[in-house]
Amino acid sequence: MEGELPSNRKCSALTGSSRKIKDNAADWHNLLLRWERLNDHGFDVAQNIVNLRLRRSESQHLQLQADEALPPLEPAGISVATLQQDCDKLQEVYDKMVALVTKMERLVVSQHGISELEQFQFGVEGRKTPLFHSWNAKHFEDVSVFLLDSFQSELRLKGALLQDLAHTVTSDLHVVHLSCWLLQPFVPPQVRLMLEALLLETGHRPI
Amino acid sequence: MSKPAVIPLQQAIKKSFQCLENNQKIWKSVLAECGPLMVSLGNLAEQSIALSNVQLSNTPLRVFPDLEERLRFKQQHAIDTVLGKMNEKMSSLQSVRDSISNQVSGVFQLYEQNTESLDIPTLTERSAITPSISDMLEWLQDADRHYRQEFLRRKMLLQTLRADDLSLLESAPKRWKSLETPTAEDQISDTLCKVSFFMESQ
Repeated sequence: MEGELPSNRKCSALTGSSRKIKDNAADWHNLLLRWERLNDHGFDVAQNIVNLRLRRSESQHLQLQADEALPPLEPAGISVATLQQDCDKLQEVYDKMVALVTKMERLVVSQHGISELEQFQFGVEGRKTPLFHSWNAKHFEDVSVFLLDSFQSELRLKGALLQDLAHTVTSDLHVVHLSCWLLQPFVPPQVRLMLEALLLETGHRPI
Repeated sequence: MSKPAVIPLQQAIKKSFQCLENNQKIWKSVLAECGPLMVSLGNLAEQSIALSNVQLSNTPLRVFPDLEERLRFKQQHAIDTVLGKMNEKMSSLQSVRDSISNQVSGVFQLYEQNTESLDIPTLTERSAITPSISDMLEWLQDADRHYRQEFLRRKMLLQTLRADDLSLLESAPKRWKSLETPTAEDQISDTLCKVSFFMESQ
């Protein structure tokens, strides 16, 4: 995904439903772009948390083995404070992701509204000439719903990861958590394809 | 240096060294791009192994019933992508090898066509700035062999990898790194230094 697309370009002569749908498509593109950036940033933070957590459990382990008379190996307070700091950072990332998904929800509502309007204007069989190349309003709505579903599920997973990340002790589970955060299992490859199809259909990408 | 066959042969040798110099740069830059790809391949294998070791139903993530399947799919997908990129890099390396090989075999063909007019003193004659033809032919052959071997060893490593053999994938970056032959690569650079005056001469 390259630079952001302008969501309210005035240069083309589109009006009504087409105008709205084209703007929504640009919004989808920009939201997904921002999501990717947040995900990358969140991954860095999550990696820090895991490293701190592993180091902490290691040093605790060492302290248990060491003689009681020895002073603590590491001032535990410092690492707890940094751990808390990183967790707060991750929480911030998560909050921003929640805001993105809220915006996505609004896009779906808008798309649903357009569908209903189209049905009201042109009846069940829809308009005679397509909005852009071939898709009808229902198709646009279906794509939006699919995108939203993916990101809602992914957001739920992120929420769970945020809760567990700093409380996990086994290193395998740590790796699984990081893998989940990075690879986004609930965002299938089709999401990317659908977005590109949406941009092609609405003319943001040249055919 | 009065023999008629000497001048064209020297020209051809000069062209081969120029080709070698350009291709050595390409080779190095492609290899530099392979390193990070191999590291991420190892990381992905590690992630897959971790997923196999963890019983997700015993963790708080059990609320996502299809998580394991989806994550497994994404991991395989990412491994496929990296292997695909590595294949592209290998074809760049292959074209480096081919272009060096073609140049060198061209020079040797020219040499063999003219063996009758090239006697031993001519072939071994050298000056302060021009190494002897026999030395330069040897260096070209060494370089050709070096890139052939390097390419084959890397190709072999990649061909033994399988997307479902995780431990093999995990150790791949280490084995890839162990294929590095800095001394052989330095020798090529040395050779290029030795012929630098010859290359600049008209």
